[in-house]
Amino acid sequence: MNKRPRRTIEHVLWIASFLLLWELIVSTGFVSELILPSLLDILRALVDDLVGGTLLLRIGVSLALVFGGMILGTLFALILSIVSYLFPLLASGVEVLTSIAHPLPGIALLPLVILWFGTGTLSIFFIVIHAVLWPMVINFNAGFSSVNRTFLDIGRNYEYGRWGLIIHVLIPSSWSYMVAGLRIAWARSWRAVISAEMVFGVIGLYGGLGWYIFNKRVFMDTSGMYAGLLVLIIIGLVIEDILFKRIERRVKHSNGGAQ
Amino acid sequence: MKNRSLALICTLLLLLSLTGCRKGTDGSMTIAEQYGLAYAPVQVMRVLGLIEKRVPDAQVNWDQVGNTAAIREAMIAGHVDIGFGAIPPFLIGYEHGMSWRISSGVSQAPVGLITTDSEINTIADLGSKDTIALPQPGSIQHMLLSMEAQKLLGTADALDSNILTMSHPDGYQALISNSITAHFTSPPYIFREQGLAGARMILSGEEAFGAPFTFIVGYATEEFHEKEPELYEAFTSALQEAIDLITEDPTEAAALLADVYELEPSVIEAYLREEGMIFSSEILGMEHFGSFMYEQGYLEDIPVARELLVWE
Repeated sequence: MNKRPRRTIEHVLWIASFLLLWELIVSTGFVSELILPSLLDILRALVDDLVGGTLLLRIGVSLALVFGGMILGTLFALILSIVSYLFPLLASGVEVLTSIAHPLPGIALLPLVILWFGTGTLSIFFIVIHAVLWPMVINFNAGFSSVNRTFLDIGRNYEYGRWGLIIHVLIPSSWSYMVAGLRIAWARSWRAVISAEMVFGVIGLYGGLGWYIFNKRVFMDTSGMYAGLLVLIIIGLVIEDILFKRIERRVKHSNGGAQ
Repeated sequence: MKNRSLALICTLLLLLSLTGCRKGTDGSMTIAEQYGLAYAPVQVMRVLGLIEKRVPDAQVNWDQVGNTAAIREAMIAGHVDIGFGAIPPFLIGYEHGMSWRISSGVSQAPVGLITTDSEINTIADLGSKDTIALPQPGSIQHMLLSMEAQKLLGTADALDSNILTMSHPDGYQALISNSITAHFTSPPYIFREQGLAGARMILSGEEAFGAPFTFIVGYATEEFHEKEPELYEAFTSALQEAIDLITEDPTEAAALLADVYELEPSVIEAYLREEGMIFSSEILGMEHFGSFMYEQGYLEDIPVARELLVWE
């Protein structure tokens, strides 16, 4: 218990010294402001765009794409996994499909996706679904196959049918696998969205954070670029280290004994 | 422990100081190479070794850099001494404190907005669902589109939410596959696209601008201009020789460029002879770009006098 606050203090000290080092380098004047702007300028750019509302809109667009894609992708993955659980013949088909598609980075598919769906939000959404679907299928399958036989037998004693078993036994005992899958899906889709938006994005309403950074780059607003990166870091920390850790702890508590 | 953290900090400082490291005077220069017909003099200069002809022991490096934003970044980092591109991205860089100036014009070229949609005759016919591909915001294509939008639609950013950023080859593919409504492009894509069935140019750069303007200019960093006067001189006079050669003898220029562009010499020659392809060191339209970009907020200040933007 004693270790945690100490670590937190250490982390804070490290961050503070990084920032101090940054300011020191800036103040020497050795490095051009176009490469390394001062922290104050970055903060000012961040606050300006937050107050103006553009940055919030960009964050909203990117997060909406990712979360929308995660919900839909998880749903598709669940369907595929249930189908392969029920029909062993189809299972091998899903397996082949997964091993082909899973290693493909979404951004590599982008040129092809543009040919299929044209340009714009729909294509980016497709890339997100691709990023989410395959890790979720793999994790659902792992979750289903790891279910203790005893639980299935107990379920059968309750006279559950196939669907009953899936809903009352398989899915609840795979929660932790699902959360692990979501974590991978988040990491993949978040990176995919940002990079896809940087390759092409829409000016105006539907551009996300990647577009924000790209736009700052072409107009040579270096502080703005760093502000965009700062937002990326904060969102990453909040979601990976706070949100997912909480969910994982909950899941562990709720079915800690299930496996 | 103390020694170790000291070493760590020193390493970090060393690494960071390297990012600001610039090349000294060593008789070498790095030029950012660009493709596209409007850059033909640059390619001729390279193929014929026109700089080396003037300074025999010069070491001329050619770097391939993707787009204007990347060229700017490479020039800030001190990796590239000379780059080529349009006037608007230059002005954006200058305003943000880059120490660089234009050395010479390179070309005027027909640029324009091409569509395959028979219902669209002017930009006023574009609806909210229609998309326009162009290289990037802040590019010359974007500025020309904004100029026309201001004239025809009342506000310069009226079409900004219709824009998609795409390189010229990607935009060409997208136009063929009908996944965009229109493409704001330049040679040689503009010639190829006009040859497509049903494709038309609904806006030319010159209409939007209201006068002829220089499409491609060459820029040099202050550092290079100050420290390597001999090489700088060799570069400008080599560029002029290349421009003269293309203007006076397009057939020979086309033969030289055939390998570079991987096209038949006859095709290149036809492109070079197209109306509106003018190779010249003149710099036209800088003031108009500057005042428009300032009025529309793409620049925060009105650009300084021409003498401060152009080397001698």
